[in-house]
Amino acid sequence: MAFAPAILIGRLVRVAARLRKRGGGSAVPGLVVNRLAPRFLSATLAGFPQGLVIVSGSSGKSTTTKMLVAVLEAHGLRVFTNPSTANISQGLTSALLERVDLRGRILADIAVLEMDEGHGALIAPQLAPRVVVLTNVMTDQIDRFHDSEKVAGMLGTIASRATGSLVINADDAMLLELAAHRAPGTVIAPYGVSQGVLAANPRGLGYAQTAATRLAQRDGTVVTEVDGRSARLSIAGGEHPITLPARGTHYAVDAAAALAGARAVLGADFDAERATTSISAVAPVFGRGEIVTVRDQQVEFVLVQNPASYQLNVDSLEKGLDQLFFAMGSDVRDPSYFWPVDSSSLGRVAVVSGSKADELALQLRYRGVEVGAVDHDLAHAIDTFLALPAPRTGIKTVIFTADSMRRTRAHLGLV
Amino acid sequence: MTADLTVLTVFAEQTNVNGDAENALVLTARARWAGFSAQRVDWRLGDPVPKGRPDVVVVGSATDPVLPALLDALRPAATTLRRWRDAGTRILAIGTGWELLGQTIHLDGQTLEGLALLPGRAVAGSGRVTDDLVVDSPFGRLVGFENHLRDVVLPAGSVPLGRVVYGRGNGSDDRAEGLVDDTVIATHLHGPVLAKNPALADDLLSQVLGAGYTARTAPAELVDETARAARSVIATRLGLSATDVA
Repeated sequence: MAFAPAILIGRLVRVAARLRKRGGGSAVPGLVVNRLAPRFLSATLAGFPQGLVIVSGSSGKSTTTKMLVAVLEAHGLRVFTNPSTANISQGLTSALLERVDLRGRILADIAVLEMDEGHGALIAPQLAPRVVVLTNVMTDQIDRFHDSEKVAGMLGTIASRATGSLVINADDAMLLELAAHRAPGTVIAPYGVSQGVLAANPRGLGYAQTAATRLAQRDGTVVTEVDGRSARLSIAGGEHPITLPARGTHYAVDAAAALAGARAVLGADFDAERATTSISAVAPVFGRGEIVTVRDQQVEFVLVQNPASYQLNVDSLEKGLDQLFFAMGSDVRDPSYFWPVDSSSLGRVAVVSGSKADELALQLRYRGVEVGAVDHDLAHAIDTFLALPAPRTGIKTVIFTADSMRRTRAHLGLV
Repeated sequence: MTADLTVLTVFAEQTNVNGDAENALVLTARARWAGFSAQRVDWRLGDPVPKGRPDVVVVGSATDPVLPALLDALRPAATTLRRWRDAGTRILAIGTGWELLGQTIHLDGQTLEGLALLPGRAVAGSGRVTDDLVVDSPFGRLVGFENHLRDVVLPAGSVPLGRVVYGRGNGSDDRAEGLVDDTVIATHLHGPVLAKNPALADDLLSQVLGAGYTARTAPAELVDETARAARSVIATRLGLSATDVA
């Protein structure tokens, strides 16, 4: 009952925050409770009978977490997880407050949490996750993290807390290096892609450093084929087809991470057939290739998180799309690091928006991409874009960074 | 080299984390728009230095952990680089790329010898600076972004690129930023500094291509208008004017 007062206060704050701003204020209750009861987060996360799973890395966290939850639920586990928008400490606490009883318990067998690298490294020392799943190290948010070595260091802090298994991407040289320095007794569960899959991505998979060799099928979970939304994976020597939530090799890699993570959690109870079937049914996370009907038309939403995901997403778009919208917002402190991305295959972007619209338009124009209009007012720009005639090829496609994604969702009433 | 303009990037796989190597794209694009042939040559880590003297060498910023390896890779080419510079090759050096070509680098408590191709000692500063950088220079008000750990001490008599209006720059008391002389532009303005500040690009291109070079082409005017808007947004956010009032 030690946390009951803090939990009650947190809930009151939540009610107050929601009265003030509908649908908003999700981080505030967590902020208050973390201040009142600093041990609430770690104590609650230590209370799950089958332990805690942490998913972190530069990109692919949200999709991997969603897939892993789907596989574990398909195996009959009751899973507590956090929404992808609540992957920093106050958001995590807020998510726990939603479900916790006054004794500080949550009715679930296991927790699977997506964690931001920086915040994860800060709170990891208080946690004892059974399984840690790491996706990759990419050049990401340079103004915050400075260099990929620092990101690898933060992921190393999280990884060092794993009591059971460390699930790592064997194509990422920095994660391999980190696994070599794991705590004694931690089991390594690797996943990766075949040589053929890597060769089909001439620009690579976006990792800061790609490993020199590929993972042998007998040694882990391996993506052996990707074709649009279809992929094949080798799991414990058996071949399994899966359907991806959206086009792109990176989603197949997310699936391999989730499957390797599920095997680490479930052990002998892991059923590859059941696991791949449940992964194939996972819907895309918003902005990760999700197609939504907005104002009577289909629109695909694509989130750009860092240069690697910008490049991967541009390369995986259907060719010849002629109704594109691209917004870059204030989450990108300095767009400089997006300049190496070859965006020329976009051809033409009808509307460029966001608070960094001019810098984005500058990069696109130097890459030979035609820019129709630059409109700083995101809501107005979205309205203009949706009012444009239907595209000749494919469907209207909206590319955005995280801040513009949030504003776009709010403007369009997408929850 | 057969093209009118050859731009060499150095170890772009490590020195393009901020997009610095894409200044080669800016130079070649602008030269082509003005009717010149232009090529970008990438000198890859592990390869011998490419043959043939380039017109411009671009050395961008790498992260600190790889600097010793880059120094080792550059050292055998020091004589070649010096010969090129003496023969008229222009050098654009950005962030730690400048530190590599400079005199010394203070790194993890040690002092490493740079290539001594450019003036400047990279010394311990007062902590990492990651913010906008605005500089008044003979090329007008330059707007960009800086992200560096060390300060640069210039020898007496060196001419900085300009004076800091907002930001840290070289970190000296006289608010100097960068370095400029007949052959070199060195700066902390990282990323597409030549795209955002085309006056710098045009000065460089005029020196290499001569009076036949012009920025008055339709594509250049379009990107320069975009760059002007980008500079204006940043300057306004900082409470500054986008143009040099002096």
